[in-house]
Amino acid sequence: MAYRREGNQEQLLSSIISTVNSHKSPACARQAHRICMVSDFFYPNMGGVESHIYQLSQCLIERGHKVIVVTHAYEDRKGIRYLTNGLKVYYLPLRVMYNQSTATTLFHSLPLLRYIFIRERITIVHAHSSFSSMAHDALFHAKTMQLRTVFTDHSLFGFADVSSVLTNKLLTVTLCDTNHIICVSYTSKENTVLRAALNPEIVSVIPNAVDPTDFTPDASRRDNNTITVVVVSRLVYRKGIDLLSGIIPELCQKYPDLHFLVGGEGPKRIVLEEVRERYQLHERVRLLGALEHQEVRNVLVQGHIFLNTSLTEAFCMAIVEAASCGLQVVSTRVGGIPEVLPDDFIILCEPSVKSLCSGLEKAISQLKSGSLLSPEFMHDKVRTFYTWRNVAKRTEKVYNRVASETVLPMGKRLDRLITHCGPVTGCIFALLAMLSFLFLIFLKWLIPDDLIDTAIDATGLNGAWTRKYLRNKKKKENTTNC
Amino acid sequence: MARNILCVRLEHTTRQRWQKVLYKRQSFPDNYVDQSFLEKLRKNVHARKYQYWAVVFESGVVIQQLCSVCVFVVIWWYMDMGLLAPQWLFGAGLISSLIGYVLFDAIDSGIERNQSGQTRWGDLKNSVVFVAFTYGFSPVLKTLTESISTDTIYAMSALMLLGHLIFYDYGANAAIVSSTLSLNMAIFASVCLASRLPRSLHAFIMVTFAIQIFALWPMLQKKLKAQTPHCYMIITLLFALSALMGLLTISIVGTVLFALLLIAISCLCPYCLIRLQLFKDNIHGPWDEAEIKEDLSKFLM
Amino acid sequence: MAEERGYLAVSGARITLQCLHHSASCREFQVRCPRLQLRSLSAVTCCVWLVAYGLFVVSQNSMVLSASIFITLIGLLAYLHFVKIDQESLLIIDSLGIQMTSSYASGKENTTFIEMNQVKDVVINEAIYMQKVIYYLCILLRDPIEPHAISEVVPLFQSSKPRLDCLVEVYKSCQEILEQRKKS
Repeated sequence: MAYRREGNQEQLLSSIISTVNSHKSPACARQAHRICMVSDFFYPNMGGVESHIYQLSQCLIERGHKVIVVTHAYEDRKGIRYLTNGLKVYYLPLRVMYNQSTATTLFHSLPLLRYIFIRERITIVHAHSSFSSMAHDALFHAKTMQLRTVFTDHSLFGFADVSSVLTNKLLTVTLCDTNHIICVSYTSKENTVLRAALNPEIVSVIPNAVDPTDFTPDASRRDNNTITVVVVSRLVYRKGIDLLSGIIPELCQKYPDLHFLVGGEGPKRIVLEEVRERYQLHERVRLLGALEHQEVRNVLVQGHIFLNTSLTEAFCMAIVEAASCGLQVVSTRVGGIPEVLPDDFIILCEPSVKSLCSGLEKAISQLKSGSLLSPEFMHDKVRTFYTWRNVAKRTEKVYNRVASETVLPMGKRLDRLITHCGPVTGCIFALLAMLSFLFLIFLKWLIPDDLIDTAIDATGLNGAWTRKYLRNKKKKENTTNC
Repeated sequence: MARNILCVRLEHTTRQRWQKVLYKRQSFPDNYVDQSFLEKLRKNVHARKYQYWAVVFESGVVIQQLCSVCVFVVIWWYMDMGLLAPQWLFGAGLISSLIGYVLFDAIDSGIERNQSGQTRWGDLKNSVVFVAFTYGFSPVLKTLTESISTDTIYAMSALMLLGHLIFYDYGANAAIVSSTLSLNMAIFASVCLASRLPRSLHAFIMVTFAIQIFALWPMLQKKLKAQTPHCYMIITLLFALSALMGLLTISIVGTVLFALLLIAISCLCPYCLIRLQLFKDNIHGPWDEAEIKEDLSKFLM
Repeated sequence: MAEERGYLAVSGARITLQCLHHSASCREFQVRCPRLQLRSLSAVTCCVWLVAYGLFVVSQNSMVLSASIFITLIGLLAYLHFVKIDQESLLIIDSLGIQMTSSYASGKENTTFIEMNQVKDVVINEAIYMQKVIYYLCILLRDPIEPHAISEVVPLFQSSKPRLDCLVEVYKSCQEILEQRKKS
């Protein structure tokens, strides 16, 4: 691509467009996709899925793709907004039912989503989180509209109780004709493959990432006269706070210089408060309450050891953040956690008070003998493990693969639903797919495609936002790529 | 060309084995499926093997409770028809209660009594207070439901007795089980039915009988079952037979149906359970939510 | 100097945009919606009357018929007077301000005037409208206290809702005038 550097900017862009259009271009030319991220969870809501979507979108924009995000309205945040670098976000006025997830009827969101997909000329719909009903809806509609679909699963699910049986069935239906699925860890992949009865070949594993610049070590903030154990998590049952309530008195009696720093809020806070009251540990156990994302680093650097007591976890961002801040991590061996950090960075324990206590004691004795890795060394290592750029690059590969695949035509899709999802569910959803197909035809008659204004691209090739940005960036990339 | 193949082969040998870790950049595609895929999958970890006769034995609790309800209704019917004098029922109830009381202590030779610290004097006081209160309130019970139609009373009692059977603590560990609710429903049904009897003495005796059969009898049963299983089996059989005999004097069709129900529950249901157990397909693996096995409440005591 | 061009509205209806260049610093844009068609009018009237007749057959009460005639008449008047806008115009004068006029089918006119020093900018924005996402032209009003903040957004051509190509036309023209003002 180097020869293009001489040409002026307009030429460069048009040549890229022509290579994309002609498709049979040299391997060097990259395909630019128009991607729509759909999830119920997005800023201003805070959490793992939200930051994943945001960071991934930013990196994909940087790589020259057009990205928009579709989510539901959060209080007065409705309509269309632009975030950093022209990331366009649609906050759709849909009714929230439970836990920030919208109600699903499989039909009511079709008119709006169709309008958005057409006006933004979307080629790939990327849905996130199996808890989000909007993601399921969007996948369903995208398939009806013959768009390519990708799904990222962020959570682990059991198979035992009624709620997971139902969710798994829904997931089977949604994923049976989805082009590609992304999971955040190998354990999560095994889980998703089992839950949705998938071919493991169409499931990729792309871990989450952390922004290493946000989580830098700062040894000066540590109080070296004491040992501080940091816990940052929501205080809920699934994060194993009950275990923590057993560990605190056990270890505080053994080590008089041990302090606990707990960040986060939740229904289990009361348990920790009771323990603190019962054992008179007000000085040594500090409960900080809910933390803003930018405060997390400041809490982390005050500690020596990070404790994670989760009972289930697909990919634990918290331990990566802690390791990036140079803390020794002690964690339960559940879900995808054993895959996340190398053995010398993490002490894995069984999910019991006894095992976690012995893990912490091991970490404390290492700390006292000074055999722990230095924070700077840990940070330098961890920053190479997980970066959003790498995630975006690997996700782009998935997009390229998906773009070359064909979307199942309606007849085959019905076949797939009936054969793949069991006789009852399969037939019900085949009927629903049929209905949504008819609904789409009705909508096409009501508002023909050519009556929908094409939106002005904010990002991607020729994007209003990227045009200036591209000029600098492309040149740099050309020199590095070729 | 040959060199090319050689290169590929070399690459293969030097290539490291795939590892199940995320922090390494491995030379495998993201959708690579290793041989170890789903290696940690376990099936039916917690599945229990059932013995047919053991299950039949366990079904005795359900049989007992069904029979209790049946006996209660039969006795009420006799009272309502005037075939059974209340004094007789009271006498019989008193005698069986005393026998049961003696048995209750005799079975485990008074170990539980010593542990709970319950004195005989306390028992006597409780029962006297209870009997006195019931006797005092029986005229009220009698007139309480006068304004309600008899059909409603019957429907309500049937519902309440059904509820009693549903919520009764058969020993299963489920959310629906609530022995208090179950007992309350039974007593409510007995109060409803008692109010339709001819005199207030009838009502008083009916309610005390309900207490005996729904509250005291299951306690004795539980102890019997734990201490002397054989005896318990025999008692269950005798109790079921007597319930059937009682029902026979009222309705033959009812008796046949009730007998069929009892046989279905004690013989057919265990068989189904064991057969269906073969189809169990429970999946376990590292993705399962970990269970906290320790008792953490000690830290808060 | 006047030029008239045909465009489509968001709903697919044909509209015409007339640009009047009164002088270098004074321009007027008129968006004309299609007039009320006899066909649709008679269709609605027929429907109402048929329903009324059906009710009359069932209830045998002639009040229904007279009421329906009354309702159609009042409904039509109200529709023409309060709902149906035939023409929306935007008059922009460099030194004075922006005047928006909407003329109803009955001849009623509604005029709003915004002083030029209140106007911060004229922009095209996007909004979710019913089950659609549409572009619309709007005037941003300056906050009197904080000159950089926006106190209000005034949407233009609200009833005709022209498509993007038409909006861009008006937008460019408006920007020319605003540019001139900034320069001077």
